[in-house]
Amino acid sequence: MRLEKCWFCSSTVYPGHGIQFVRNDAKIFRFCRSKCHKNFKMKRNPRKVKWTKAYRRLHGKDMTQDSTFEFERKRNRPERYDRNLTENTLKAIKTIDKVRFRREETHHKNRMKGKAAKERKEARKEHEQQLHMVKAPGAKESTATSAQVKVNVQHESSADNRMEE
Amino acid sequence: MVQYNFKKITRVPTGKDFVDIILSRTQRQTPTVVHKGYAINRIRQFYMRKVKFTQTNFHEKLSTIIDEFPRLDDVHPFYGDLLHVLYNKDHYKLALGQINTARNLISKIAKDYVKLLKYGDSLYRCKALKVAALGRMCTVTKRIGPSLAYLEQIRQHMARLPSIDPNTRTILICGYPNVGKSSFINKITRADVDVQPYAFTTKSLFVGHTDYKYLRYQVIDTPGILDRPFEDRNIIEMCSITALAHLRAAVLFFLDISGSCGYTIQQQSALFHSIKSLFMNKPLIIVCNKTDLQSLEGISEDDKKLVEEMKSEAMKTLIGQGGEATESQQVLLTMSTLTEENVIAVKNAACERLLDQRVEIKMKSKKINECLNRFHVSIPKPRDQKERPVCIPSAVLEAKSKELEKAKRKLERDNENENGGAGVYSASLKKHYLLADDEWKEDNMPEILDGHNVFDFVDPDILHRLEELEKEEGLLQQQDGEEDEEMEGEDLTPEQYKELAEIRKKKSVLIREHRIKKSTAESRPIVPRKFDKDKKFTRERMGRQLSSLGLDPSKAIERVRSKSRGRKRERSTDHGDGMDIDGDSNKKVRLRSTSRSRSRAPVNEVVPGEGYRDSAMKIKAFKMGKSSVHKRNKEARKGEGDRVIPTLRPKHLFAGKRGKGKTDRHPVKSKHMKADSKIGTTLYLMLDPVKSEHMKADSKIGTTSPPAATGFPQILQTSSSQHFPLISLKEIRIHPPASSLLADVSFYSRRSRRNSPRRRRRYHRIAFER
Repeated sequence: MRLEKCWFCSSTVYPGHGIQFVRNDAKIFRFCRSKCHKNFKMKRNPRKVKWTKAYRRLHGKDMTQDSTFEFERKRNRPERYDRNLTENTLKAIKTIDKVRFRREETHHKNRMKGKAAKERKEARKEHEQQLHMVKAPGAKESTATSAQVKVNVQHESSADNRMEE
Repeated sequence: MVQYNFKKITRVPTGKDFVDIILSRTQRQTPTVVHKGYAINRIRQFYMRKVKFTQTNFHEKLSTIIDEFPRLDDVHPFYGDLLHVLYNKDHYKLALGQINTARNLISKIAKDYVKLLKYGDSLYRCKALKVAALGRMCTVTKRIGPSLAYLEQIRQHMARLPSIDPNTRTILICGYPNVGKSSFINKITRADVDVQPYAFTTKSLFVGHTDYKYLRYQVIDTPGILDRPFEDRNIIEMCSITALAHLRAAVLFFLDISGSCGYTIQQQSALFHSIKSLFMNKPLIIVCNKTDLQSLEGISEDDKKLVEEMKSEAMKTLIGQGGEATESQQVLLTMSTLTEENVIAVKNAACERLLDQRVEIKMKSKKINECLNRFHVSIPKPRDQKERPVCIPSAVLEAKSKELEKAKRKLERDNENENGGAGVYSASLKKHYLLADDEWKEDNMPEILDGHNVFDFVDPDILHRLEELEKEEGLLQQQDGEEDEEMEGEDLTPEQYKELAEIRKKKSVLIREHRIKKSTAESRPIVPRKFDKDKKFTRERMGRQLSSLGLDPSKAIERVRSKSRGRKRERSTDHGDGMDIDGDSNKKVRLRSTSRSRSRAPVNEVVPGEGYRDSAMKIKAFKMGKSSVHKRNKEARKGEGDRVIPTLRPKHLFAGKRGKGKTDRHPVKSKHMKADSKIGTTLYLMLDPVKSEHMKADSKIGTTSPPAATGFPQILQTSSSQHFPLISLKEIRIHPPASSLLADVSFYSRRSRRNSPRRRRRYHRIAFER
């Protein structure tokens, strides 16, 4: 029993899931779900489809090379069973996972480093340029007067009519 | 070596089926159509062909049956006798004989009827003859129906007979029922014969094959024989007797020492003696079975004596063969099929004896001399007297000796059987693993952990690498800690943030509205703004929006109010009871027209740049434009290019009687020209003054007036008493009757195009021009 990687999105395919396609040249394509399978049939390039791991790696969104990836390698010759070795391996898997996760986080943080500053700059610019949508340029600041003005309008119109009589 | 295979006999159909097959074949494969108008020869030929065809088919099929079933005299006597035992030779021959007679009868019928057909003089007679012929043939076939059924049954049974080759090396097993013959054959061959505790489990002969010295031997298992006089034997026993009688085979006579078959040794030896005549010239071995229950030494004296007698009989056969008298081992053997003790030895002995006998016979025959010349066994002469024994490595010798010591190895299978059988116990496949520590043998190693394959991570020096990784990680973490957070630029104040949020909200609203408008623009007509069906453009709303922007809306609202005309009620002169003191206020309201804003000039004023010389020109231009549109609008046409006619022939225009006025212009249609028709259907001919007398009264042209005395050419008068002057034929037009006018519009309307828009506009009557 082995966990495989989906050819399209690179997620793990657990046993009992997905479809395996064997081409005439004996190349095997495994898919985790019909979404990936259908995308493949449409001949889409996973490197161009935003949500796949291939795209993310290619465009630098996710960590590409790291020493933690070298621990996991497909071995073709099985090792003779050794209980201690297996114990160590199982513990190692957990620590390696932790390390890798931490490193991915730092990668992400580095990627997003300048974001806050950029956002603030943009906000300031937008505020500057589009303020007229919310506040008219020549408007007075006080809110009390605006309410008063409303009332005045109604009285004044009736006053006007009377004046014309 | 002829292989007797009765499986290839074709199926024998029943009588009715047979008839059906042949008749349908005749129908399909001969021509079917004949008429009584054909030449008589042709009709005769047609029917003769049918009769002959049917006869040929019958003949063919019956011949195949007769040929395929074996003739009991021609086959090997073993099969002949076997078939006789099973099916009774006489019945069999009778059935086949009946088939033969039927075949001949059918041929005769066909011949006779063909002779008659040659002189058939009508279709009916020929047909009747053919029907009679076919009918008789079919009756014959139906009569042999029972024979056909019987033969079919025989065929089915024969197909299931075991294919025994009577000429090859055969070992025959015989004895009382239940002595262990079938178990023996199961042990030495791959035959799977039923073994059951009741007698006569085996009801027919069974064949198995076994090998000895690279040769194949047939082993035949027979049903048990009881000790009875020959005539009383039933079919099953007769099978074994037949086999014994005819097959040249080594005979293994089975003896049940323990008596658990239900018969004592006395009875068994009595049987032996009664059938010992059948053992002539056959290598005989007496096998004492079931020694696990009772050994040969432990039986009583009488029984021992009987056994000795049998042995001596068997020895006779051995001596007859020319073997040594001292070899008692070869004649009397003990074994047990249950414990499989000595089974192979018995088989080997039997095979050896048989082989010897056959070789001897072959040597004695004449043919061998021809073959013998071709054989030459060369034995190399010894070079010197040195002993050269066989070289066997010591390890092999040790293993061999160990094998002899070791009892039978315990198999996993036995283990499984002990612990509850196939479904209950499952053997541990890890039992023979070679690991560093034997405690680890039954360990379950996980294959998957946290979405990873464990096998991919297994590495002898994983600990070492892990340490390195940790060190690396430590370094990296320090580095990360050293970096500061940079704060670039200043933040906006909270009020500014609020404003920004509002800006963004408004923007998103606009965008959404635009998107909706864009998407529905094609399917929804956009109402011009002045109609304001959503009531979005009200004064109050404007006021609200302006005040939300922070402006003072009062002035704008005032202006809007002043510009509106006000309600009609206010504008009207009598305001309810007319008791208004200030009458001119309403007047003023009324008179106050809604003046347009000064963005547009009045129509007649010429704006420089428009291209008009003066206002008169402009007015004229407008008038011309309007007049060109006026007609189209009246016709409800969208524009110049609109040529749609919704209904081409609206019924109310094209049905009904002709109204007043039309009747004058379009006279009634009639075959004969009526005298009182005003125009058109009368022909005016130029008449010769001389011939006027010869004008006939029944001329089709019209009525004649009595011939006038004058020579003046006659003129046919019409009822209208209009005297038409002489006119030349050229000027006469022939007007066809009115009702055809409507049909042939094109013939008479000048503008002959049927659907020309000019002529056939909506609801305009078609006008005829003469």
